[in-house]
Amino acid sequence: MDVHDLVVRFGPVLAVDGVHLVAGAGASTALLGRNGAGKSTTMRVLAGVVPPTSGSVRVAGIDVVADPLAVKRAIGYCPDVGGLVPRATPWEHLQLAARLRRLRDWEPRARELLERFELGAEAHRVTAGFSHGMSRRLSVLLAAFHDPEVLLLDEPFDGVDPVGVEATMDVVADARARGAAVLLSTHLRELAVQACAEAVVLRGGSQVARMDAAAMSGEEGARVYRGLLDT
Amino acid sequence: MSTAVSSTPRRLDRLPGGSHVVDVGLLLAMRGGVARGRAARRLGPVLVVVTLAVAVVPALVGPGLGEGRALEVLLLLPSGYAAFAGLALASAVASGGGRELLPRDQATPYPVSAATDHLGALLLAPLNIAWILQAWLLLGGTSYAVGPARLAAAQTVVVLWLLAATAVVQVLAWLIEALRRRPHGVWVLRGLGLALVGAVAALQATGRTEDALDGLPTDVLVRAGILGDTGFGGVWAATVAGLLAATALAVVAGAWAAGVASRRPPREEVRAETGVRTPRRAPRGDLGALLRLDRASVWRAVPMRRGLVVLAVMPGLVAVLGALPWESAIILPGLVASGGALLFGVNAWCLDGRGGLWRESLPVRPGLVFGSRALVLAEALLLASGGTLVMAALRAGAPTPSELAAVLAAWVVVVAQAVAASMTWSARAPYAVDLRSARATPAPPAVMVVYSTKLALTTTLTGLVLAITAHAPDWRLPLLVAALFLAWSAVRLLRARDVWVDPARRAVVVTTVSA
Repeated sequence: MDVHDLVVRFGPVLAVDGVHLVAGAGASTALLGRNGAGKSTTMRVLAGVVPPTSGSVRVAGIDVVADPLAVKRAIGYCPDVGGLVPRATPWEHLQLAARLRRLRDWEPRARELLERFELGAEAHRVTAGFSHGMSRRLSVLLAAFHDPEVLLLDEPFDGVDPVGVEATMDVVADARARGAAVLLSTHLRELAVQACAEAVVLRGGSQVARMDAAAMSGEEGARVYRGLLDT
Repeated sequence: MSTAVSSTPRRLDRLPGGSHVVDVGLLLAMRGGVARGRAARRLGPVLVVVTLAVAVVPALVGPGLGEGRALEVLLLLPSGYAAFAGLALASAVASGGGRELLPRDQATPYPVSAATDHLGALLLAPLNIAWILQAWLLLGGTSYAVGPARLAAAQTVVVLWLLAATAVVQVLAWLIEALRRRPHGVWVLRGLGLALVGAVAALQATGRTEDALDGLPTDVLVRAGILGDTGFGGVWAATVAGLLAATALAVVAGAWAAGVASRRPPREEVRAETGVRTPRRAPRGDLGALLRLDRASVWRAVPMRRGLVVLAVMPGLVAVLGALPWESAIILPGLVASGGALLFGVNAWCLDGRGGLWRESLPVRPGLVFGSRALVLAEALLLASGGTLVMAALRAGAPTPSELAAVLAAWVVVVAQAVAASMTWSARAPYAVDLRSARATPAPPAVMVVYSTKLALTTTLTGLVLAITAHAPDWRLPLLVAALFLAWSAVRLLRARDVWVDPARRAVVVTTVSA
C-alpha cells in the first residue's frame, strides 16, 4: 500500500486532505481518529470504491485510478456500514465472491471460516434477519476468505462479541503471517494496539501522527491519543 | 451555530388527537425536505391547475345534462365511483395497509404512534398516480355529464366521495393487514381473494355483470348532484352530510385499526427474513452469478412479489370483465410495466441495501453489473405485463396478424421504456431505502408521483400509437414503429450505463444507497 497526498472531495466537502500511508507486506496499520476524520473514505479509496480527487494511491503495486479492477482482485474489504446484500444468504455472498475472484475449491475454506465466526448455522438464511454483530462478523469473513494481498477492515469490532473479536484477530494474524498488508480502522484503541504494529491518526481529513501502535497502549497511550485528537 | 426556529407548535397538542396531527406535520416537513429536483418542487401547483381544468373545462365544452354522449357518461358514473374505491382498496392492501411517512428503520427511535402512522398513510394515499388519474377521470366525467348549471353541486359530491372512499378503504386496508398478520392470515386472505375472483367469474358466466353494476349504491352520488335546477337541494345536503360523517368516522376508526395491525408481527416478512434457503450449485458465468443475487433481491422481497402479482392480475381482471378487444388491451402492458418499475426499478441500486459497498469492491466490470440489474428489472416487468396479456387474451378473441404484432410490440417497447427510464433515474437520483417493508417506496412520495406521471404518460401514449397500427393492413407496420421506439430506449439505456460506468458517479450512487 502506497498512498501519497490523498485528497477526496465530495462537492464542497473535503473528506480527506493529504493522507500519506505506506504499508509493506506483512505490515498491519491501525487507522484511528474521530468520526468524520476521513478513515472510512480513505478505506473506500483503497478498496477501489471511491476514486481519489487527487494524489497517488497504489495498492499491491497497482494504481487505483489506472486499474481499479486489478486493485479489487488484490484486496478484501469489510465496509464500515452493513456490507451485506439484505436478501442473499452468506453462502450466496461467498458464491458470488468466489465466482468473480475466480476461486477454485473454495468451499472447505468457506465452511471453515463460517464455523470459526460461528455463522455455520446461518449459512443459508438471508442476511436481512441478522443482528448487527452477526453482519459485522460475516463482513470480516467475506473480506478475508480469498486470502487477499491487502486486507481492509473498517470498524470490524463494532458491536461484535468476544468470539467474533477473537476470530477477527486470528484473521488479521493469519493475513500478516502469509505476507498480506492489513489496514484496520476502529474506535477501539486497545483492540487496534492488539491487532496492529503501527498506528496512523487522522483528524479533519488530514494525517496528524504516525507511530508505533504500542505507544497508544494503556493510560499513557490514551493521553497521547486524546492529545492528538484535541490539538 | 445559527438555526431556524425549531420548537414544535403547542396549541394543537392540547386538542384530542392534536398531538398526532402535530407529529404528522413534523414528519411531512421532514419527508418534504428529502424531495429533490425541479419537477418535484413544481408538482403541487401543476396538480392543482390540472385538477381545476379537468373539473371545469369538460362542462363548458360538453353537450349538457342528459344530452348525447353526456347521458352515456352519466350512466357509467356510479360504476366509476365504485371502481375508484375498489382500486384504492387494492392499492392500500398491496402496500401493507398504506404508505409510510417515515421509513420503518428510521422511525424506530421515535415515538411515532399508530394514529400518526394512519394519518400519514391517509395523506400519502392521493400521492399515487393511480389515485390521481382515477380522480381526474371521475371529476372530468362528472363535469362532462352534468354541464355548467349543476357543476358546483356535483363536483362537491365527487370531491367528498374521493375523500370518504379513501378514508373508508384505509380502515379496511388496516383490518386486512391485521388479518394477514394473524397465524395463517396469509392463507385466509388468499382464499378470500380466490373467492372474489370466483364470484366475478360466476357473474360473468351467468351474464349478470351489468345487473350487479346497476345495483351499486353509488348511484345516489349521481342523483345528489343533478336533482333540481342547480343541484343544491335536500338530497344533496343529506349526501354531503353523510359523506362528511363517513369521512370523520373512518379517520377515527382507521387510527384504531392501524393500532390493531401494528401490534401484530408482520409474519410473512419475518418468515422471508428467517427462513432457510436451499443452496444451489455455483453459477457458471459472471453474469449468471450477478443475476442470481439480483433476482433474489427482487423475488425474495414480500412487497415486490405481492406488488407484481397485483399489478398483473388487477388490469387482467378489468380486461376480462370488460371483454376488452385487442386494440384496448394494448394499453395494459404499459400500465403494468410502469407500476412494476415503481416498485423498485426507479431506484434499482437500492436493492443491494448496505451491501452496495461490498459489491462495488468485487472485481467485475461495472457495465456487466448494470446489464444484470437492467435484465432482472426487464424480466420482472415482462412477466407481470405478460400475465396481464394472457388474462386479456381470454376474452379478446383471436387477434388479426396486425393486432398480434401490435400487442407483442407494445409489450416489449413499454418494458424497454420503463427499464431505460428507471435505470436513468436510478443513476441520477439514488436514495437510501430499506425495501423490506411493503409500505416503503423506493423514492420519497413527491418524487414517486413525478416518476409515475412520466412513466404512465410515456407508456400510455406509446400504447395508443401502437393501438393505431393494430388496424394496419400490413402486420409489419407495428414492428417497424416498435423498432423506432426501441432504438430510442436503447439510446437512453446506453446513456444511463455511461453514467453508471463513470467511477465518480458510481461512487455517489453506491455510497448513497449504502448509507
